[in-house]
Amino acid sequence: MIGKLLRADFLKIKRKGLWFLSFLGPFGVIALQMVNYGVRKDYLLNQSDDDWGYFLEYVHSFTPLALVLGIAILTSFMASIENETNAWKQLISLPVSKMSVYLSKFMVLGSLLFVSSLLLGVFSLGYGILLNLGDQIPYLELLKYSFYPYLAALPILALQLWIASVSQNQGIPITTGVLGVIFAYSAFILPDWMIWKWPSLMNEWDEPLINVMLGIGVGTLLYIVGMLDFTRRDVK
Amino acid sequence: MEYVVQTTNLSKRFGKESAVIGLDMKIRKGEIYGFLGPNGAGKTTTIRMLLGLMKASSGTIQIFEKDLNKEKINILKRVGSLVENPSYYPHLTAYENLEALRKILGVPKTRIHEVLEIVRLTEVANKKVKGFSLGMKQRLGIAASLLNSPELLILDEPTNGLDPSGIIEIRNLIKQLPAETGMTILISSHLLTEIDQMATTVGIVTKGKMIYQDSIESLRMYAQQKVLLKVSDSEQAWRSLLGNGIKADWEDGIILLSEHSDGKVAKAIHTLVHEGYSIYRVEEEKRSLEDIFLQMTTREKVI
Repeated sequence: MIGKLLRADFLKIKRKGLWFLSFLGPFGVIALQMVNYGVRKDYLLNQSDDDWGYFLEYVHSFTPLALVLGIAILTSFMASIENETNAWKQLISLPVSKMSVYLSKFMVLGSLLFVSSLLLGVFSLGYGILLNLGDQIPYLELLKYSFYPYLAALPILALQLWIASVSQNQGIPITTGVLGVIFAYSAFILPDWMIWKWPSLMNEWDEPLINVMLGIGVGTLLYIVGMLDFTRRDVK
Repeated sequence: MEYVVQTTNLSKRFGKESAVIGLDMKIRKGEIYGFLGPNGAGKTTTIRMLLGLMKASSGTIQIFEKDLNKEKINILKRVGSLVENPSYYPHLTAYENLEALRKILGVPKTRIHEVLEIVRLTEVANKKVKGFSLGMKQRLGIAASLLNSPELLILDEPTNGLDPSGIIEIRNLIKQLPAETGMTILISSHLLTEIDQMATTVGIVTKGKMIYQDSIESLRMYAQQKVLLKVSDSEQAWRSLLGNGIKADWEDGIILLSEHSDGKVAKAIHTLVHEGYSIYRVEEEKRSLEDIFLQMTTREKVI
């Protein structure tokens, strides 16, 4: 059942610009580094012996922001497809369970963000090579910087999807989305328990893997709570 | 008797307000069931409960003699629906809209062309729904509801907002469906004339309660004209009419002639005059279906 719903959901996002946004996010993050390194490449290369590591640190300084902003935009686009003409009622009166409808939406968003993260990795690698940062390409670090923030941001995705799919007024998920971006921007002053801090991979133990584990754990939890609430509610 | 839809004591409360109260709906196979009631009477709420969009506060729903709560997905596989305003994805073409639903329903692709043909949208199949007129959107909604060749079709106000030719078109479409496919149709409306021309059975609901449920013919019986006679010594006069083989009813001192052709009325009056009764008034009482509907729904009691 979920396969059918996924195919239908991927058809519905056609011409909505969601794929383009998934490309634009990582491209924007790298474009900022293009400006950064374009203007002061020699200075930056002098700052550290580990040019790749230093470059990836810079890339990562914008990743959480782009990710949280992307999640807010993608979820509200996704919900708007069904909200626009109240197509929820048509969708739910098909022979499908509400749980699988919700799961399908989550998986589509998850895949879009996965593609973004993958593109981020590819773009980082590409621009890094172009900058001639050295032959010792740190593939493992590259993967970590691309996918750790994604996994650590899963709770934000689950929360935004929950809010967007149960709100009659789409102003609410947009507000929480904007707040999330502000939180993500000020990650270094946030306490460790705030989910908006997690994509920055910062914590007091200086161990990014903790954020990833928390992200997957709390993300699953928030997903289940959101799904149950969605199933419980009457469709307007 | 096999009922396709049977609700028992169905109720729905929103907070303190009751939208539907103790509703017993019975729809037999192959019927076009007209679900009638003024705006806000609880029609859409009932339909939403039938489709599992809302949970009933109390009562049970049986569709195809199965409990909706237990076998929702199996039931919905055999049901097509159009609830209130048509839902569609404006950025997709008519074909893609149906394709998105078809993928979920798992019916063959040829079915899309068939339903587009039925609602006569084949020519605009590859145009975006954004630019469609309301009538076309409504027809697309009906096409979507027919996609899985349902055994039960639920249409909530399908002619809302359509122009007269659109209404006639949809009416003809709905009328031909049960004949061709043995489909059972539940159609709601706040317009009696609409239901009158399509339905075989009517259920009238007002303020959340079902106040009438029977065949359309029985409803029409109420609408028949009657001739009222006010005469002296009316009970005696009534008996003598019956004695002369003239069908009549007696109510509160007034004689009601149920046969009202000119000849029959003349004969009744001739009889009465001949037997020496004084005739004060001969009146014709006309009640249209609309009058009955209005009376039923505003006074909240059965005739």
